[in-house]
Amino acid sequence: MSIIDTLTIAFRNLWRRKLRAVLTVLGMAIGTAAIVVMMSLGIGINEYFRESIERTGSMTTITVTNYRTNYSSDGMAEVYVSGLGGNDEIVLDNKAVESIEKIGGVVAVMPLMEYWGQAVNGQYYAHLNIMGVDIDKAELFEFSLAEGRMPSKHAGSAYEIVFGSWTLREFTHKRTYRQAVDAMGNPKLTLDSRFQLTFDYSNILSYDDMGMGQDGATVSKGKLYKLRPVGVMSEESNNYAWYSLMDIEAVKKLAKENKAYNELDTSRYSQIWVKCADTGQVLDIQNQIMALGYGATSAQDTLNMVTEQFASLQLLLGAIGSVSLLIAAIGIMNTMMMSIYERTKEIGIIKVLGCRMGNIAGQFLTEAAYIGLFGGSVGLAVSYGLSALLNMFVFAGDDMGIGSVMRSVIPMYLSAGAVGFSIVVALLSGMYPALRAMRLSALTAIRNE
Amino acid sequence: MEQNNDILMDIRDVKKTYHVGDVNIYALCGVTFRLVAGEVCCIIGRSGSGKSTLLNMLAGLENPTSGQIIIAHRHLERMTQSELILFRQKNVGFIFQSFNLMPYYTALENVALPLVFRGAPRARRNKIARDMLDAVGLSSHLQHKPMQMSGGQQQRVAIARALVSDPGIIFADEPTGNLDSKTSDEVMHLITHIARERRKTLVMVTHDPNMRQFTDKAITLLDGKIIDIHINENAIGKEFDGKQASALH
Ligand SMILES: Nc1ncnc2c1ncn2[C@@H]1O[C@H](COP(=O)(O)OP(=O)(O)O)[C@@H](O)[C@H]1O
Ligand SMILES: [Mg+2]
Repeated sequence: MSIIDTLTIAFRNLWRRKLRAVLTVLGMAIGTAAIVVMMSLGIGINEYFRESIERTGSMTTITVTNYRTNYSSDGMAEVYVSGLGGNDEIVLDNKAVESIEKIGGVVAVMPLMEYWGQAVNGQYYAHLNIMGVDIDKAELFEFSLAEGRMPSKHAGSAYEIVFGSWTLREFTHKRTYRQAVDAMGNPKLTLDSRFQLTFDYSNILSYDDMGMGQDGATVSKGKLYKLRPVGVMSEESNNYAWYSLMDIEAVKKLAKENKAYNELDTSRYSQIWVKCADTGQVLDIQNQIMALGYGATSAQDTLNMVTEQFASLQLLLGAIGSVSLLIAAIGIMNTMMMSIYERTKEIGIIKVLGCRMGNIAGQFLTEAAYIGLFGGSVGLAVSYGLSALLNMFVFAGDDMGIGSVMRSVIPMYLSAGAVGFSIVVALLSGMYPALRAMRLSALTAIRNE
Repeated sequence: MEQNNDILMDIRDVKKTYHVGDVNIYALCGVTFRLVAGEVCCIIGRSGSGKSTLLNMLAGLENPTSGQIIIAHRHLERMTQSELILFRQKNVGFIFQSFNLMPYYTALENVALPLVFRGAPRARRNKIARDMLDAVGLSSHLQHKPMQMSGGQQQRVAIARALVSDPGIIFADEPTGNLDSKTSDEVMHLITHIARERRKTLVMVTHDPNMRQFTDKAITLLDGKIIDIHINENAIGKEFDGKQASALH
């Protein structure tokens, strides 16, 4: 029996009992839709977390820290190991950079150095959290800027800086403490304003204390450097929005020159960023770094932790959907058994006419597969509709630009998987009826009722 | 009279016992006979004499309790279900008392059905089926459903269906049992004529002793035993096939 004949005959047999076929398909459609919608919610939650984690940092970046979190053997309790002093002090220096660079799959290693200073504009000043970055490598780590460009390598007397997202708004009058913003809350200062950089508070406050008119009149005071802002950090999707970026060499130079006002060991870094070749290697490289004794975190392992926590929720959602699919599967079995009882004589006749056992089973399985295919497809269409309605009316996103935590997402693999699964379930339910049909005696055809 | 190498069916001491509760029903109590290829034969007997039981065993639809059924040198009683189906596919056409056409299919589709199971492509099987329907005089009823045809017409469709796969043997269980006597005669003429014309071996069950006028051989059964084997030299329609007649004698 050719495949096309099997398909045609099975379809005609199914279509002979239109209402029953439609009802069975409907049951299957409801079952499929229940599973798809339930799973789409689970996937939606997962996707929300993935997006919010990806927003805070690239999925191929590992942050090496001078502290680490240990888990006790039972995996429950956390032990915090501080890197600041003590026997187990973790030192992030050039040696650390070198040893991390040796790990396979590492594309770039960038040390970062944090420093603090004051930006000055006339009577206004603002506190700066300075993050020194390696300008050559910074591009790889995709700092997101709201405007402007990254600083270039330090040269000359002016220091280039990318302001933190809120820095311009934070400039405060040194006497009135009024912020340099207009009535609308927009900063009065722009990147084109003239700025200076100092690490000595007396450069700012001496005016008040001593009532003198000129800055830098006292010899012991720290220097005022020329500061040239070239960009502003992006506010969104940025863990480092409040940092102002400078060339790390410039930071080292400034730190050495201003030891008296703000001491910093320039041989030690506050963080080291590691860029991996691809996402698949991140966890492995992270483990190797931790094996070297450093602390390390990545968006990947945060995501894994979240995913793990939500796996059981997804399982529960899937199970709820499965119940209706199970009922649909029982429906298929029932339909098939009924049609076998109705067609007992007919099955006997085709056996006498030379239909092989396998072909008989094949016909019934094909009928089941049709129910699965149609039910799955209709169910999928219904799922897309329900999913759209849910997203439009029930889970309407808030205005934060992030969207609601609850949302329904149907990825391609779920669509294909749902129809495939529906067919498989239908085939499984059709298995026993098909076997029964195959084993029916041909003699029933001969006996006259 | 019969040559050994011509023998198509060799039935040896076949017994069939049914157990219904504690009661044994002896449907066949040792049946032995032989048929030559191309022979047109009928099995005659009262209702309950075991005719259908015998025919079903010849067609491999039922196993004997004991005895041997050798058809075309093969022991049917030793074959598995799938082997029997293959055997039927190749060698056997079957005509039922109640026609047993598929009510949802047209005459053409019904006749083509056995060819579907044999994997014949659509165009070829439709052509063969059309020719077969033509041979039984129904070329104008190709697209009729069984419900739209008379009993005689339905049985003619069934005859076409039994012959469409060109089997060597045709079995018919009371093919005229559901027909009036006039239609009965027409159908008997048709079946025996086609069987002779195409050199088929025909084994037909009937309760009507008058039917022996159409066949070369009539085996009479009573209570599961053969009580008479009648050879008819002047069967109706035998003149259609002089060659075969001379081969037999
Ligand atoms: N499946 C069966 N179970 C029990 N008894 C049966 C069965 N088939 C036939 N018989 C019995 O065997 C005998 C012969 O039946 P059957 O061959 O159908 O006779 P016929 O076709 O000559 O009318 C009858 O007594 C019938 O009741
Ligand atoms: Mg009978």
